[in-house]
Amino acid sequence: MKKLSYVLSLLVIASMLLTACGGGTATEAPATEAPATEAPATEAPATEAPATEAPSGDKVQIRWFVGLGTGTNPEQVAVQEEVVADFNASQDNIELVLEIVPYESARDTLSTQIASGAGPDVVGPVGWGGSNDFYGQWLDITPYIEETGFDTSVFDPELVKFYQTEEGQVGLPFAVFPGAMYFIPAMFDEAGLAYPPQVYGEKYVMPDGTEVDWNWETITQVAKLLTVDVNGLNSTEEGFDRTQIVQVGYTPQWQSIESIGTFYGGAAKLYSGDTKGSYESTIPDSWKEAWQWYYDGMWGDQPFIATGPLAGAPEFGNGNLFNAGKSAMGLTQTWYTCCLADFKNAGLEFQLGIQPIAANGEVSGRIDADTFRILKTSKNPKEAFEVLAYLITTGADKLLPAYGAMPAIAEKTDAFFEVKSADYPFVTEESWNVFIQGLAYPDTPSSEQYRPNSIKAVARFTTFADLLNNTEGLDFDAEYQKLVDDLNAIYNE
Amino acid sequence: MLEQLNTRLPKLPSLAAVRKMQSLSRREMRNGLLFLSPWLFGFVAFTFLPMIATLIFSFLNLRITDGIFSTPKFVGFDNYAQLLKDPQAGIVPTTWFSSKTPSSLLITIKFALFALPIGILAPLGLALLMNNQYLKGQFVFRSLFYMPFIVPFVASVFLWGGMLNTETGWINRVLLFLGVAKESLPQWANDVNWVYPTYVIMGIWGIGNAMLIMLAGLQGVPTELYDAAKVDGANSWATFWNITFPMISPVIFYNLVLDIVGLFQYFLVPLVVNAGTGRPGGATMFYNLYLYKTFFTYQNMSYGSTLAWFLFLVILIITIVLFATAKYWVYYAGETRS
Repeated sequence: MKKLSYVLSLLVIASMLLTACGGGTATEAPATEAPATEAPATEAPATEAPATEAPSGDKVQIRWFVGLGTGTNPEQVAVQEEVVADFNASQDNIELVLEIVPYESARDTLSTQIASGAGPDVVGPVGWGGSNDFYGQWLDITPYIEETGFDTSVFDPELVKFYQTEEGQVGLPFAVFPGAMYFIPAMFDEAGLAYPPQVYGEKYVMPDGTEVDWNWETITQVAKLLTVDVNGLNSTEEGFDRTQIVQVGYTPQWQSIESIGTFYGGAAKLYSGDTKGSYESTIPDSWKEAWQWYYDGMWGDQPFIATGPLAGAPEFGNGNLFNAGKSAMGLTQTWYTCCLADFKNAGLEFQLGIQPIAANGEVSGRIDADTFRILKTSKNPKEAFEVLAYLITTGADKLLPAYGAMPAIAEKTDAFFEVKSADYPFVTEESWNVFIQGLAYPDTPSSEQYRPNSIKAVARFTTFADLLNNTEGLDFDAEYQKLVDDLNAIYNE
Repeated sequence: MLEQLNTRLPKLPSLAAVRKMQSLSRREMRNGLLFLSPWLFGFVAFTFLPMIATLIFSFLNLRITDGIFSTPKFVGFDNYAQLLKDPQAGIVPTTWFSSKTPSSLLITIKFALFALPIGILAPLGLALLMNNQYLKGQFVFRSLFYMPFIVPFVASVFLWGGMLNTETGWINRVLLFLGVAKESLPQWANDVNWVYPTYVIMGIWGIGNAMLIMLAGLQGVPTELYDAAKVDGANSWATFWNITFPMISPVIFYNLVLDIVGLFQYFLVPLVVNAGTGRPGGATMFYNLYLYKTFFTYQNMSYGSTLAWFLFLVILIITIVLFATAKYWVYYAGETRS
């Protein structure tokens, strides 16, 4: 049966490849273009060479699989090899072997490896999205934490809790990407508005001098004042021309519709039930309100969020609005600091404000996080945990800068911010400190949480978001109900 | 007399010569196969085997999303039964208008019925214009009309996406400038009523290749036929219908087959322009896009393969029907019909 499974896995990959490569007549070109992204799958075997290295002596071989997240760039590979060499030099009984697989084919490669009984031991760095594809197959590391006495107090307890799922404690914090409200001070100055607060608990000062909570109602009002048309009128003013918007007040930069729900309505589990047939969508009402608010922000009388067509226009950065200097505020995570070259080159400056208070009266932040996980199929889980512990502590000193990630261990954050300060010298210490404060506000459960029939369910959410972004005059309630109905069907397929 | 006849007939080759020829022919065959082998290998490895693989998959329950510990099982015709019931695939015509979910097959057929005549007539019309003796600067026009075909298809789709952007696209900006009310502006790819015309407009931009093939066909029509028609007093329409059309009918037939196959495999434009979500209102969830999403996005290999095999059968049947009817309207010069 295992053989059959292996052969079938190979056939799957072959057929995916072949479908991607299949050519034809000139008119067939469209069919052959898109799947071409699958082509890198062919590269996988070439980069897997280290896996074939024989273990030396009596050492236990632990295989570290990289590719489901970051870690495949040549510079990163070199650092990872260095970390592996350091680890092996410090070891008598474990030999760590690195496997690098291109991101595009990593999921299929890992599937095939596990299906054929040749799965790796440690996998990562991997975020929630990548992990969900292998839900149910991650090892609960609680016994090994207890057995080795690993000190989890170096992490924020909320971050440790972040990795407690129905599968158990599936990871420990490593690289974290807390959220913050990026903003362009020059646009606030021009509108005569106070900047967003930079300490959680601080109030926002409205133009009339009143102090209010930094919540979504406040953001809506401020964002409207920051949404400007070609004549310089803001969205609340008479004569505002919505067909000639040159700048919007707010954008949920690169955020999924689930993230929008989390930020606005608080983190929530999206389904109930534990077996096929019993699953049910449990999207909270506060998320429905969030999406209605988001929709009205685009298509309402006083818009302050870019619609799909506007956001997708080249003038608006093809969706990267904040980087294009077209949005006064952008709510997103630490990783966005990677991608502001155009912004900086245009002579623009940004600062960071706190994440807003959600509908439930509490700050509902979001943290994207990458970590290392151990597969249940590992034959040497104890040794694999030893490797994992090394990677997130000692190894992290070299790995985190290579990944451009913020350390989950508070005492290691200085080095990260030194690099970031060099990149963006105009960003103040108060701003960088917003990220550190943000570590206390993870979304548990994550907005990228597992759902039954995960890939299809996530795709359905994306379709819903696409509909909101691109359709004026939508019957929102009907479409929302359709989403729920579809999800109930998808979860139980 | 017999002697005379004998000298005129070719001499029969000797046995040795025959053996030599057979050996030569064998060698030619071997060398031919050798030269063909890269293609043969490519065909077997990259076309034939995957086809067989997808056929096998269509009888299994192979879904990567089911978890990698699961072993695929033989499920007989379950996937084909599911296909019959699947409203999104919508292969049963009786469900086309009763289901809430738009049928992807019906969407494909509807779009084909709209796009196919334009896809044939537009290049034919252009080719006729290009072939007109009174047209000045034919080479310039030919090049200009062919040029868009050189632009990579995806790039042109993005380009058109920008031009037809409902908020910032210059086409709507021009319409606004001309006094069209904001509410009356076409929403192009975001409107159920406009989305197919939008796709056709994008497609027309790349008809240069079909135009060139038609033009080659037109230029191959013997001029003496036109001279004879002129002598007989035929007008332009009679000349076109009785001479031009029959003479270029093989070229039209060729384009027709390719266009139909291409339309059933249509998916890149909706994937890029409408993000492959089926927006607006499910009107752009073409059958091949649904197939692609099932196979690659949802990773349901078995059902995706079933969808693919159904599509293959549909295209095969249509092609067979087309070839069967060709004898009634496609004219091959020199062909004798019983």
